[in-house]
Amino acid sequence: MKNLAQQISIGVEFRTPPRPMTRERMRWYVDAQPTIAADDGRIHTQPPTIHDDDDYAASQGLPGIIADGMISTNWIQGLLCDVFGSVIASQSRLRTKYIAPIYEDQIVIAVVRVSSVTATQTGGFLYELDVWCEDDTGKKLTVGNSFVDTSLQSPGVKNSHASA
Amino acid sequence: MAVGRYTSDLELGDVMGPLEYTLSPFVVREYAHSNELHHPFFQGLKDELMMPPTLIHLDKLRLYRHACPMGAGPDARIHYEYDCTMHEAVRVGERVVVSGEVVERFEKRGRMTVVIEMELRAASDGRLFVSYRDTVLLSYKPKD
Repeated sequence: MKNLAQQISIGVEFRTPPRPMTRERMRWYVDAQPTIAADDGRIHTQPPTIHDDDDYAASQGLPGIIADGMISTNWIQGLLCDVFGSVIASQSRLRTKYIAPIYEDQIVIAVVRVSSVTATQTGGFLYELDVWCEDDTGKKLTVGNSFVDTSLQSPGVKNSHASA
Repeated sequence: MAVGRYTSDLELGDVMGPLEYTLSPFVVREYAHSNELHHPFFQGLKDELMMPPTLIHLDKLRLYRHACPMGAGPDARIHYEYDCTMHEAVRVGERVVVSGEVVERFEKRGRMTVVIEMELRAASDGRLFVSYRDTVLLSYKPKD
């Protein structure tokens, strides 16, 4: 049985199953914004956006609605949580750049690849990771990197979605 | 200072906040649910809940609403870069203070770019939970 440090070695790649960026997924993020701002336990909506209204998206020069970039960032973050657990919410860094719009029903796969592993003086590890989202042709849509520091918390593999 | 109107007016050096609020279980679970983050520390019972790092994005919108109550401006903003560092877990029930500052504003290939840096700190003692750098384009279409 390999321990975590052996499983998460340089070059290992974790991937989510392919997910279509449906109209509903885009709207969930739109609706979350006023709903969370109100924080009253009820659903709230907002005026049309480029993420949920075709006509408004067209008025902004777009061929159709596009996903909020934060959805792909969240799918990468979810994969990091699958691999490293709750340490992502306490000792981590995630950087993402949205290099291509994600259109309705485009297939999206989040990927995390280990680029370095460094033992820390406190018995944990500092992981550096390349992260991205790609479509089903391998075209990159969102790119970035992440640092995860397990010095203060021993992670377990919380692998509910990821496949290495 | 360009606060008080549209986010598209924001200028270098503009300060947003500080704003203080309490992190609620509803906010954590609702945000996690909307992003299909089904981990127990994001959607479980109250005592185990932690702030998803990406929730800082909605704190940016919180600052925008406060500093620029008239909205985005003439065009829809396009989010371009996200850069978030978690220094310590934020638990539900925590009283927090969020603040931000415009650190860059420049034009590139006909599109205006605005960069803000934010911090989320404990209201009780000021310890740093989250630092965040956010880059947006003020329109999808380049200006002529």
